[in-house]
Amino acid sequence: VNFTIDQIRAIMDKKANIRNMSVIAHVDHGKSTLTDSLVSKAGIIASARAGETRFTDTRKDEQERCITIKSAISMYYELSNDDLAFIKQGKDGSGFLINLIDSPGHVDFSSEVTAALRVTDGALVVVDCVSVCVQTETVLRQAIAERIKPVLMMNKMDRALLELQLEAEDLFQTFQRIIENVNVIIATYGELQGGPMGDIEIDPIKGTVGFGSGLHGWAFTLKQFAETYAKKFVKPGEAEPTSEEKAKKVEDLMKKMWGDWCDPSTGKFSKTNPDGKFVRSFVFFVLDPIYKMFDAIMNFKKEEIAKMIDKLNIKLDSEDKDKEGKPLLKAVMRRWLPAGEALLQMITIHLPSPVTAQKYRCELLYEGPNDDEAAMIKNCDPKAPLMMYISKMVPTSDKGRFFAFGRVFSGIVSTGQKVRIMGPNYVPGKKEDLYLKPIQTILMMGRYTEPIEDVPCGNIVGLVGVDQFLVKTGTISTFEHAHNLKVMKFSVSPVVRVAVEAKNPSDLPKLVEGLKRLSKSDPMVQCIIEESGEHIVAGAGELHLEICLKDLEEDHAGIPLKKSNPVVSYRETVQSESTQTCLSKSPNKHNRLFMKARPLEEGLPEDIDKGEVSSRQELKIRARYLADKYEWDVGEARKIWCFGPDGTGPNILVDVTKGVQYLNEIKDSVVAGFQWASKEGVLCEENMRGIRFDIHDVTLHTDAIHRGGGQIIPTARRVLYACQLTANPRIMEPVYLVEISCPSDAIGGSYSVLTRRRGIVFEEGNITGTPMHVVKAYLPVNESFFTADLRSNTGGQAFPQCVFDHWKILDGNPFDTASKPGQVVTETRKRKGIKEGIPPLDNYLDKL
Amino acid sequence: MADPFSTSSEDVIQRLIDVPLNIATAPDKLREFYQISETCDFIIKHSYKKVALQFPDNLLVDSVAVAADIERNTKAKVYILGDTSYGSCCVDEVAAEHVAADCIVHYGSSCLSPSKRLPLMYVFEKRPINVEKCVTVFKELYPDSQSHIILLYDVNYVHAIGDLRTALQTEYPNLIISELVCEGETCYSHTHVKCRESISSDQENNQFVYKFGRLFFLKSELSVKEYSIFYIGQEGATLTNFMMTWNRCTFCSFDPSTGTGRTESVKINRALMKRYYSIERAKDAGVVGILVGTLGVADYLSIIPQLKEAIHKAGKKCYMFAMGKLNVPKLANFLEIDIFVLIACPENSLLDSSEFYKPIVTPFEMEVACNPKREWSEEYVTDFRHLLPGGQSHVPLAELQDFSEADVSLISGDLRRQCLDPESDQASESSSLVLRNQTMTVANTNSAASFLSGRSWQGLEKKLGETPVVKAVEGRRGIAIAYEEEGTS
Repeated sequence: VNFTIDQIRAIMDKKANIRNMSVIAHVDHGKSTLTDSLVSKAGIIASARAGETRFTDTRKDEQERCITIKSAISMYYELSNDDLAFIKQGKDGSGFLINLIDSPGHVDFSSEVTAALRVTDGALVVVDCVSVCVQTETVLRQAIAERIKPVLMMNKMDRALLELQLEAEDLFQTFQRIIENVNVIIATYGELQGGPMGDIEIDPIKGTVGFGSGLHGWAFTLKQFAETYAKKFVKPGEAEPTSEEKAKKVEDLMKKMWGDWCDPSTGKFSKTNPDGKFVRSFVFFVLDPIYKMFDAIMNFKKEEIAKMIDKLNIKLDSEDKDKEGKPLLKAVMRRWLPAGEALLQMITIHLPSPVTAQKYRCELLYEGPNDDEAAMIKNCDPKAPLMMYISKMVPTSDKGRFFAFGRVFSGIVSTGQKVRIMGPNYVPGKKEDLYLKPIQTILMMGRYTEPIEDVPCGNIVGLVGVDQFLVKTGTISTFEHAHNLKVMKFSVSPVVRVAVEAKNPSDLPKLVEGLKRLSKSDPMVQCIIEESGEHIVAGAGELHLEICLKDLEEDHAGIPLKKSNPVVSYRETVQSESTQTCLSKSPNKHNRLFMKARPLEEGLPEDIDKGEVSSRQELKIRARYLADKYEWDVGEARKIWCFGPDGTGPNILVDVTKGVQYLNEIKDSVVAGFQWASKEGVLCEENMRGIRFDIHDVTLHTDAIHRGGGQIIPTARRVLYACQLTANPRIMEPVYLVEISCPSDAIGGSYSVLTRRRGIVFEEGNITGTPMHVVKAYLPVNESFFTADLRSNTGGQAFPQCVFDHWKILDGNPFDTASKPGQVVTETRKRKGIKEGIPPLDNYLDKL
Repeated sequence: MADPFSTSSEDVIQRLIDVPLNIATAPDKLREFYQISETCDFIIKHSYKKVALQFPDNLLVDSVAVAADIERNTKAKVYILGDTSYGSCCVDEVAAEHVAADCIVHYGSSCLSPSKRLPLMYVFEKRPINVEKCVTVFKELYPDSQSHIILLYDVNYVHAIGDLRTALQTEYPNLIISELVCEGETCYSHTHVKCRESISSDQENNQFVYKFGRLFFLKSELSVKEYSIFYIGQEGATLTNFMMTWNRCTFCSFDPSTGTGRTESVKINRALMKRYYSIERAKDAGVVGILVGTLGVADYLSIIPQLKEAIHKAGKKCYMFAMGKLNVPKLANFLEIDIFVLIACPENSLLDSSEFYKPIVTPFEMEVACNPKREWSEEYVTDFRHLLPGGQSHVPLAELQDFSEADVSLISGDLRRQCLDPESDQASESSSLVLRNQTMTVANTNSAASFLSGRSWQGLEKKLGETPVVKAVEGRRGIAIAYEEEGTS
């Protein structure tokens, strides 16, 4: 289908008929092939042949590695009147605009998925009908938290039938179990039933589960079969029913076609299977015909094939008629149950339109009060002020420049319009991170871009002229008092780091420029310069980093690079309370600070990371939370001075003094010292984590001039270091949750690799119906650069997936240079170019 | 009983400062060591009446003896200057002008930064050096006698250079030995230091390098990059300065106090990278503090307005501080400053700022951060005088429109605003009436004001009605460091 820009623009106005969706799946679950069958069915601009060239894999390395990274496609699909009757939300004509964002399957890239989720309202979750994996689980969890409605697609049914040769009832059981698993995740992370999104559990009888094979290009939901049967059950001579009546009938039939039983001889349905004679209705009505077709074609039963093709009214091309075996099977199935049709119907019928979705997503998206003009995004009103979220930057052919890609939530964005560009640090009323610039709007479709006059709310659009004023994400508005749309939270964090250096030192400016571009083009990657002068690129995992560095070297910087081995960032913490109250005197000896350190309660640092406890929170609410959950003294909990590092980190400074004069005067200075110290701990100048510092007493010079910042800041830093040193300091390392799937004979190898690398296996299981086993373990990130090791130990049969899970104390005393943490300290200090050895306590501790 | 809150004023005078003191030189060696007769000739020749003798801390022990000797021989009035406000390598002209001295005699290590106000004479410490040992080390480090080498040395070893030259020159034809040269006609010295004017004319056809009071002539077909540098002297500011400046050369050094030589390698790249980090910090900074850390080095007054303009054009604010001997507490008093620029002599400019609350950069680094036309390249300039118009590395400041590119900070990962953005100030665009912004009651354009508004404690708290009314009472006497009655509490 080819459309002009004007035609597309016309469809964009029908906001009730827009579907913004992402496709999420595990690596290699066949997502891209599936997406392509959609595109070939309904793609607006270009069409590629489904199953062969993958339209969405736009980058060469993606095609090589089979991981998709970035693409957005618009599609147009028209529903028949009969199908329109199934739609339960508002509709506006029969044509639908579907904006599909395909995102990478590898867990290292789930930040891309996050960016995709933000601009969409629904998600097509693709699973291998073998199992749900880590990636699917993390992403699904994120989708639910963002209030994205899921529909499920069981892919690779061809393999279940051809390779695994599952019995029909077993296959049903497998399906049933996967659906249950998915629903468990939905129930755990979603809101209770009757929540704002309504019922979001997936269920075949509602038609929110599809089955099929992306590779072979066929798929169906119960709706397709129910329709066929419903037509059959119509008694001849009866008046043609209306669309609504038909839909009603089909829906009724679908309800019976899944878990219910039926009598094979009469075709009567039953809730139970009293004497074991009945057959599962799904098996009888749906799987049986498919099995028969497979059986006939794969066993070359020519007559039977011809009969079935005729009966099912399948029209084959003349060239297909000569095929045999698998190619014929593909051709027949594609005609019989075209995947595009089934999926597009599922998407248009069950996924929400922006009008529907923004009603309940608004409160999660908007930071400001829910009754101001900008909060009217819940109405998705094109006449309201513009509110738009930029979720990622897409590199253009023009080097160093980017399209800003995002979603219009309300109002209309148009070329030449002057808008407010608000970065993540923008605070209403302030000027920081705020720019007023004119923009241009463009339509982005896969590789193609097309200028467009304006785009109304509910649509996905690219902007030109914004990239300079935003780093990764931001809010665009025309409303003067608009607050920001909430910043996205990522499920992975950048824990693996590589130091890069230009091979030719005079290329340094190019490297820096490249790093800046890289940090823009990837939602997750961090490019920083450390105090040692090292240029660090930090990513979610090995693969992520590898791709980032490749981009950096080839595109963004375009210079040869020297790369260090991956380095893990560590954290410094304490294990017990300080053995003494530590005292440090100011340089003029007139001021004294007495403090103690102790570990934060287990779980509290994570709560701070998640924002459950934060500096922005209302004082009393925070105190109540800390008292209830962590048994803090309410009085102390109200006297939290600050969090750190950067004012938000997982360390807390608490004032437990009683009646100290002038204390409020030095608060800013002590806080500054605390931010400094918690950013660079005493062991090896890594961030601190999970430490609570209590100020026990302070004596100050009576004259303000002698207790100024100069006297207090360095002193606060020293006393905090003394506290850390006396409180049993420890090094923390990041730990991955790693999931290895492998055949049973490779399990031994996987285990030995894991144990050798300090991994702790906590779950192991067989995937029913397959010879594959899944081993789940916790593995220190530092030990996780092991793909090669694992491959050689398992004959290349094991596939690991790692995702950052938590921080863990590295056992051993960091003061002992022979111990593991001792080595970490030595290495880190050496790398940073700071003096060897942890400084002794008396550098920081003063005597009374 | 010692009072915890104040120290008596006596303490300051009694306070011990940790300085590695030399043992007083034996009286018989004094004349030779301090070149007293040359100094006297110099004073008598120009008939100076008031002479200031500037001693570094480690030579102060001998100061009285030297002063007495000079006074006896010249009849001039002699003043001893100690505890120099900035580095003791720089000539403290201001202190000398306090006594209206006619000339200064500077003892000990020197950075040879030109100073213009007073006639000056350098007397270097004659530190002991084992020339034979040095030659052996040299030969070990450079087995190839054809290698191109530049020899640099600490000023205190200049007395041994003649011997070294004779020992090495024949064997190493490509060895270049640097000379000490001082700028300005008012600068005199004993035989080892040449005057700038006298040499610039003689060897016109050879290219020469003149930096930090060192001068050497290069073979016309080679650039400095292709030379190795051999340095005699201890590790310290002088060597670091050389290494930063000629960062493409390989360095070897010989330390006469230990008698060992070594290759100074990898570290320099790291040091440069560290400096680059500081530049990034400077780019991020919104408020800059200009520290005037010298009153002696020539042209320090011209660099200040140049820096101010660059800083202002980059959309940053600046404040100026005159501060002697920097330390952590002094600088930490100014919380609102994001970064400091230190104007000082080349050797004192390269401070390791990791202990400081906010980093300290050199004028060159500040210019790299503020002036988009100046790019970070192999060149590293420690001497701010080269940045001035007419200097070797002067780069004119970019026009305002060149600043328009917004930039990402590689430290915080946030966007940094590089310039005063005229477009964002709507009010300045038109003269028509603009509705007052209700959410912004106080304009936050002044950075110090916005810093204050961000503080939790903003000065005196009135606590109206909370404090009881009392009659006036007698206050305290004395100065804040120790009030008179405080000793007993």
